[in-house]
Amino acid sequence: MLSYILDRLKSSIVVLFVVSIITFFVLMIIPGNPAQLILGTDATPEAIAELHAAMGLDRPLYQQYLSWLLELFKLDMGKSYVYGESVTVLIARSIPVTFSISIFAMVMAVFVAFLFGMLSAIKKNSITDYFSRSIMQLGAAIPSFWIGMVLIVYFGVKYKILPVSGFIPIEQSFTGFMRSIFLPSLVLAIGEVGTLLRIVRSSMLNSLKQDYMDMAKVKGLNAGKIYIKYALRGALTAPLTIIGMQLAKLAGGTVVVETIFALPGLGRLVLTAVEHRDIVLLQGLVMFITSIVVIITLIVDIFVMFLNPRIKSFHQGE
Amino acid sequence: MRKNISLILGIIFVFIITAVWVLSFVYMPYNPNEMNISNRFLKPDFDSKHIFGTDNFGRDILSRIMYGSRNVLLVALVSVSLGTLIGILLGALAAMLKGLAETIIMRIMDGLMAFPGILLAMMLVAVLERGIQGSIAAISIFMVPIFSRLVYSMILDTENLLYIKAAKSYGSSKGQIFFRHYIPAMLPRLITQFSSSIGSAVMIETSLSFLGLGIQPPFASWGLMLSESRQFFLLHPYLAVAPGIAIIITVLGFNLMGDGLNDILINRGSNDE
Repeated sequence: MLSYILDRLKSSIVVLFVVSIITFFVLMIIPGNPAQLILGTDATPEAIAELHAAMGLDRPLYQQYLSWLLELFKLDMGKSYVYGESVTVLIARSIPVTFSISIFAMVMAVFVAFLFGMLSAIKKNSITDYFSRSIMQLGAAIPSFWIGMVLIVYFGVKYKILPVSGFIPIEQSFTGFMRSIFLPSLVLAIGEVGTLLRIVRSSMLNSLKQDYMDMAKVKGLNAGKIYIKYALRGALTAPLTIIGMQLAKLAGGTVVVETIFALPGLGRLVLTAVEHRDIVLLQGLVMFITSIVVIITLIVDIFVMFLNPRIKSFHQGE
Repeated sequence: MRKNISLILGIIFVFIITAVWVLSFVYMPYNPNEMNISNRFLKPDFDSKHIFGTDNFGRDILSRIMYGSRNVLLVALVSVSLGTLIGILLGALAAMLKGLAETIIMRIMDGLMAFPGILLAMMLVAVLERGIQGSIAAISIFMVPIFSRLVYSMILDTENLLYIKAAKSYGSSKGQIFFRHYIPAMLPRLITQFSSSIGSAVMIETSLSFLGLGIQPPFASWGLMLSESRQFFLLHPYLAVAPGIAIIITVLGFNLMGDGLNDILINRGSNDE
């Protein structure tokens, strides 16, 4: 069991190392001189050369990479030239926004996916099943920016029920916070619910076929108990892995929603960094987001291992 | 056998979009970039000259949707094809050469897979030029790890089967085994994955265009049309209807077709997945 955890830890570190190489070298080939970008077009060549050297850009690439990696360990990701602030500070300030909408979106998606996934597996080929399978397909096909625009018009402008832009921190007002994240989270949830529903349904169908289900029925347990305690428990592994992957995906995949709802989150930072070719900011953001992804995946894998004794014993046997 | 509704619907939607695409080379009601300020914001009307209405510059929305289908489908087809070819090549090399090649290739793929959502595509767009080529390159690279991992695991699953061992024992080369045995064995899954990947490529392309990182104005692209309609959307909500439906039909079509093919080629009629 410990060997499994160590194994996964090791491969996570390798992945992050590979990501750091990809990120650093891909972004280093961006055309244009960063010093020129910072100083603007009126700067003298001498001033540009001076800043170029001050930023360490005249050193060989591998040296730049190593010093960048070293700074990364000290949580110093450099200074964004668009904002003129430390990248670490910018990221720290954006985390609450992105994490709030991602987590709330997943709560909604999990609720709907489990409810309809279970119902549709229990009553396969019923109306509920066809309805669930339509959600599955439509959720994956409706672009989030489109549904976002529609929701803004109906909830925000026509009926004025909810705010259509901006973020209210939870410390300031809880209702304000919930109102400001509801629509963006709903849009994200619509995008994720289909995939999750599909997995819940197929795991549940598989679980219902197992011998322990017949056993439970023979024992005369009531239906609710059978489905929740036996079938659902046997069907948790795959959905949990997917929930982890989706949470991880949302850490960096909320750009579109943050743009529509004008939320100051990580996605907005990514977009600004890409638009202005702010390499330092983009490098920092990409490393931060991929680290989150790798950490969430690792935690979910370990969690799933505890739920599924087969993985545990398989690795003990090695 | 039970009727395969997914496949039928998928083929119908894909056919509609393909027909629009092909037709756009033969006939479009108007020049998609022709502005006509006196005809601004005409509402959709099936009896008028502008069935889907006109936008803020008086451009015909139907023509722009038709023209946009070229960009969307071009980017999606080329990028998924490139991603598939490179992915198959890398996955096969890793699985068949083993050793150092396997480690290096598969670790790079793991690294690429750690980039969530459209982050990788956005990062690549920052490096490349915005526009059709940039989108194609970004989406191709996005697709590579998906296909290489699929091919890699399928080869590992098949390599110990008797017919592969037999082929090895009578001296078939790696290339022969790959083309004669692995490719046919992998084809059903590759076709299914290809179809669904077109759906996700369309989604990424339209998202990039929506964010202003894809196809640039004045050229028409569905994502761009939605993004341009944002500031007029409150007064003229019809502006977002046509591009939205076009995207939904396209993505839904390729996804349903992928699912339907999956049912007949791999799961053989079971709708458990």
